[in-house]
Amino acid sequence: MPVHTANGAGVRMADQMQSIIQYILSGLAIGGCYALVALGFHIMWSTAKAVNFAHGDTLMLGAVLTIMALDQGATLPLAILGAIAASCVFGVLLERFAVRPFAKTTSSIGWMLTTIAIGIMLQALVTMEFGGFSRALPSPGVEKAISVMGAGVYPQELIIPVVALLAMLGLGWMQRHTLIGRAMQAVSFDRNAASLMGINVNWMFGFSFGLAAALGGAAGILIGPITQVSASMGLTLGLKGFAVAIIGGITSAPGVVIAGLGFGIVEKFVEGYISTAAREIVGFGLTILVLLVFPQGLFGKREVFKV
Amino acid sequence: MTLAKWSASLLAAGALVVMAAPAQAEQQPCIGNSGPLTGPAAFGGAAVKYGAEVAIDEINEAGGVLGKKLRLIQYDDAGAPPRGVDNVRRIALSDKCIAVFGGYHSTVGLAQVGPVNEIGIPWIGTTGAGTKITENGASPNYMFRVSAKDKWVAQFLAGEALKVSKAGKVAIMYENTGWGNGALPDFKAAMEAKGKTVAAVETFNWNDQDMSAQAIRIRDSGADTVVTFALDREGNQIVRSFDKIGYKPTIIGAWGIAGNLGDLAGPLANGVRVMQTFTWMGDMNPRTKAVWEKIQKKFKLKDPSELKMGSATANSYDAVYILAKAIEKAGSYDWKKVHDALYTVKYDGLVAKYDPAFDASNPERQDAILPQYYKLTVWSDGKLLPIEQTAYGKVGK
Amino acid sequence: MTLRFLTPLAFAALAIFLIALPFTAENEYSLRLFMLFAIYAIVALGLNVLVGLAGLISLGQAGLFALGAYTGAILAVRLGWDFIFAAMAGTVVAGAFGALLAYPTVRVRGVYLAVITIAFGLIVENVIIEWDHLTGGTTGISSIPKPALFGWPLDGFRYYAVLAALLFLVVVITHNIKQSRYGRAMLAVSQSETAARGVGLNATGVRTMAFVIAASTAGLAGVLYAYLNLYISPDSFTFNDSIRFLLMVVLGGAGTTAGALIGALILTYLPEYLQQLQYWQQFAYGLLLALVMFVLPQGIFGTLSHLAARFFKRGSASPLVADSEIEKVMKDAKTGWAPASFSAEGLTIRFGGLTALNKASMQVAPGEIHALIGPNGAGKSTMVNIITGFYRPNEGAVTLDGVNMAGSPPHTVARSGVARTFQNTELFGDLTVLENVMVGFQKRLSYGLFAAAFRTGSFHKEEAECRHAAEALLTFVGLTDFANEQARFLPFGMQRRLEIARALATAPRLLLLDEPAAGLTTQEIDELDRMIRRTAALGISVLLIEHHVDLIMSVADRVTVLDYGVVIASDKPGIIQNDPRVIEAYFGVAPAAQAAAEGRS
Repeated sequence: MPVHTANGAGVRMADQMQSIIQYILSGLAIGGCYALVALGFHIMWSTAKAVNFAHGDTLMLGAVLTIMALDQGATLPLAILGAIAASCVFGVLLERFAVRPFAKTTSSIGWMLTTIAIGIMLQALVTMEFGGFSRALPSPGVEKAISVMGAGVYPQELIIPVVALLAMLGLGWMQRHTLIGRAMQAVSFDRNAASLMGINVNWMFGFSFGLAAALGGAAGILIGPITQVSASMGLTLGLKGFAVAIIGGITSAPGVVIAGLGFGIVEKFVEGYISTAAREIVGFGLTILVLLVFPQGLFGKREVFKV
Repeated sequence: MTLAKWSASLLAAGALVVMAAPAQAEQQPCIGNSGPLTGPAAFGGAAVKYGAEVAIDEINEAGGVLGKKLRLIQYDDAGAPPRGVDNVRRIALSDKCIAVFGGYHSTVGLAQVGPVNEIGIPWIGTTGAGTKITENGASPNYMFRVSAKDKWVAQFLAGEALKVSKAGKVAIMYENTGWGNGALPDFKAAMEAKGKTVAAVETFNWNDQDMSAQAIRIRDSGADTVVTFALDREGNQIVRSFDKIGYKPTIIGAWGIAGNLGDLAGPLANGVRVMQTFTWMGDMNPRTKAVWEKIQKKFKLKDPSELKMGSATANSYDAVYILAKAIEKAGSYDWKKVHDALYTVKYDGLVAKYDPAFDASNPERQDAILPQYYKLTVWSDGKLLPIEQTAYGKVGK
Repeated sequence: MTLRFLTPLAFAALAIFLIALPFTAENEYSLRLFMLFAIYAIVALGLNVLVGLAGLISLGQAGLFALGAYTGAILAVRLGWDFIFAAMAGTVVAGAFGALLAYPTVRVRGVYLAVITIAFGLIVENVIIEWDHLTGGTTGISSIPKPALFGWPLDGFRYYAVLAALLFLVVVITHNIKQSRYGRAMLAVSQSETAARGVGLNATGVRTMAFVIAASTAGLAGVLYAYLNLYISPDSFTFNDSIRFLLMVVLGGAGTTAGALIGALILTYLPEYLQQLQYWQQFAYGLLLALVMFVLPQGIFGTLSHLAARFFKRGSASPLVADSEIEKVMKDAKTGWAPASFSAEGLTIRFGGLTALNKASMQVAPGEIHALIGPNGAGKSTMVNIITGFYRPNEGAVTLDGVNMAGSPPHTVARSGVARTFQNTELFGDLTVLENVMVGFQKRLSYGLFAAAFRTGSFHKEEAECRHAAEALLTFVGLTDFANEQARFLPFGMQRRLEIARALATAPRLLLLDEPAAGLTTQEIDELDRMIRRTAALGISVLLIEHHVDLIMSVADRVTVLDYGVVIASDKPGIIQNDPRVIEAYFGVAPAAQAAAEGRS
């Protein structure tokens, strides 16, 4: 095990254990965030075969709107609900105006660049609103750290992976037991057939983007207190969340959640034992490797084309 | 057809070769400020603007410099060196300003050394303290600074840390940028000069959210005091990481955490000491008060605590006056003449008494503010107060 | 598609523009912007080949740009290399990585490929930050020596001259490649990879070439950038820069050379104008991007040339070609073309638990018209896909003139002399009818990249041959009136004929027609009948998969019947028609019962 202290003192086994637990817990926290983001991508892609390339910005939107509501004097629960609702509306509008016009063409450049553009505009607006500063998002979950087997962690951090798992389970339940969930699945299998069955496919597109954005907003509100809230907080999270979705298999909800949690833990270990830049290199390197070996992701389904 | 195309263009390219460079002309009475308007240190750009514009207003009301009214042109570098470099060229070659004011980030300042000396336009730093910005080995050296110098900052922080540390073990947490990387050797040297080694050396990158790995290693080294070269954003994560593992060192930082650490970290920021060249908080002397009132009126501020990174405001106020005096002494808006004149300016400023501001015979004296003027402030309930005016000021060996 | 004489005119205009530009520079800073424009334009031109022609999205160009810049800078600063060698090294290193990046395209496309390129760009950025001994890390590399050509310093206007000359060179090369067989191949592969492989194009090879071109130009531009700024740091090579490069191509018009230039010009100067807006500059940038996607999805130049095409309608027809010429085209004497015998022996293939073909065998004599029939699901298309290399059989051999091709990839099979049409028409929709056939002819072209880039004599000669051959084949199938229409606008029956013409362009010895009569009118079927006979008369064997009994009876020499993956009969059509096993396969009842049911004796 590497020793980093300047005075050369050895690090005891118990401390190594503590480091490992720390990395696992922190990894689960950030991994839970990736998982939530990736779930959003899964929902959008499986329904519409298109995603919001600036999905990371829905995280930022959720956190920022909460802060702005708090500034206006709203209570925390109200602010949170309002922010999530607003994120949902944003997702629906984005799908309607920025994605749907391009979803018909075979090339993905159209919706890719358009959603990126919307993301840039959103970030610019928030930068102006916040004057370029970061802001803190208060939450009871970060007031006091708790100790788990020697490692220190905020309760908020532990909540995040739990929320991710709940979201995944909730999504599965919805798909099996509700009409709208089954409609979403129908559209994702064959949108023409679904429309012939009377399902309003455009509505489903809008619903899926709205749901994904709401999830994103919630993720942002969950992680905001741990990091800080700034206009650019969503960028890297969005990018990595997308990579995680692709690694896990964007067609599989459990796949992306597992991949997200795993990715987070791997990141923390690399970061802890090597460096932060190495973390990015290993993370994105893994993405490429997995895609080469499993073109549809670890848990995704192969798409077969008839010749 | 192809052959004709080729020959035509080759001939044309050949014709371009014998071109002369454009001739020199007198410069404009403007100061170009390249600073961060966006990014993690956005308040850094605002801070310089406050001080510089108020100083310019005062000078213009008194008749301007050589009969011309000064103005400040603001460019955003977002903390990115390539943009800072581009801004220097734009300010010098397109706007033809008489001087460039450097911004918040040392990394940007370091990148600007090359083009500034190549073009030969006076550059006055107002914040970024990287040692090699001014001690860059060039002669003539166009990089001046009315701000702190990390070599001296490191010595100051080392001294303060050892005063406060009971175990005599001090660790350092620095950001992996030009600023942090440049400050590290300065700090190590400062500690060695006091006969100590650094207990733990840890680094982190911009946007890092979890420093628990580094925190664990620092704690395990036995250090009870940590010196930081970090910005508020990462500083917040640092104090939280320490808190999570139950480690409570005294933190003494360079002024990267003089912005809004108090807002971001809340009560965790209390007791975090920050080095400054100036403070607007607490009791102000009449002159400071007068300048504050002008800033308050012009930019509609309510309380001095709204001046994030207040040192930069005072630094740039003084920098404008020093530049103005240099232009007067030079007798014209000419880069070379102003450069030479800067070494003769004497001025009694907000931050310090400059006698003279710069000294050409000493490479260390491209910096105007000497370490005797450095101050220690401390975060206390969201405000950054002079340490003597708080309970923390009573603690010490 | 511009008119012929417009292109040299446009080049001349570009040359004049580049020469005149520096005279309008008021100061060094303006000159710097011109040079920056030249550098970005070089990146955009290369990326245009990748995105506009090959249809591959790369959001990692900043990584390749960085590789070029750092290679050049490190060689110059640490090893004292001269400008020209540093530039070449940077170009080569970036090009090599481009080839690497092409490899994933074997497995992934579209959004997945975009993610790989994004990951690549971020990996490069972080490796630069991490490997600080080599790259200076976040501080970057400064004091890059000023560029010099063998001791002769290149400052100010001289460096501009070098950049302008290089830009002009890259414009010419990329434009010429676009108009050559390489450009057509890229467009073909992006519009229908299946059909492209079916006519002998190596899709992976084509994509790799596109990537290498895009990467090399980005690498060259990177070195030039390093020498312009004399300082580089990782901040210049971020994901946002990759987006900006892609935007240049899209804004101008993907696939058009002028578009790349226009896009680069606008995006170099835009930040200058936006600077005044301060906070609003990012917003304005995003707004512009969104507006372009909505209002001008084909980019500025793309939209303009579309409008121009509407106004200046070209004549659509191509000249008719004599029969003797057509014969020469179809029986390519140069390659020693001769009729070939074909046989499939013991072909077996399983998909999971399903055995789609079970020891199926058949023979086609030289010049024979052989029909392959069977109920739906019998395995006919599977057999066709095995023969043409799209599937690999578990057992068995496929031989043409004694050479076993089983398991070879489609483009190899195509090059051995087997051509096919597809059940679902696979045309290169955006190419013209004539160009579709020209793509089919391409396996017979041999001029290289240099010839294409600089339009040498062999280029002109072979292109003329190619065009003439395409015209001949269009005459054969009767589509000369539509030569310059875009293939996707053709009515269905004509699309079928176009596929046949394209397949014949490869000078096949065996032509596979997969349900060519489906959806055709009676008159069209009669024409098809005549075409098949004429083809076979020249010695080309024809394997026909069909349901259309009348056509089969009329045209086939022999018929093979498949049922549940097994060959149940193979004989003359008249005999097959009365074979009880065949009747049972189609109708599910024994012939006696069938006769009774129909009340006949």
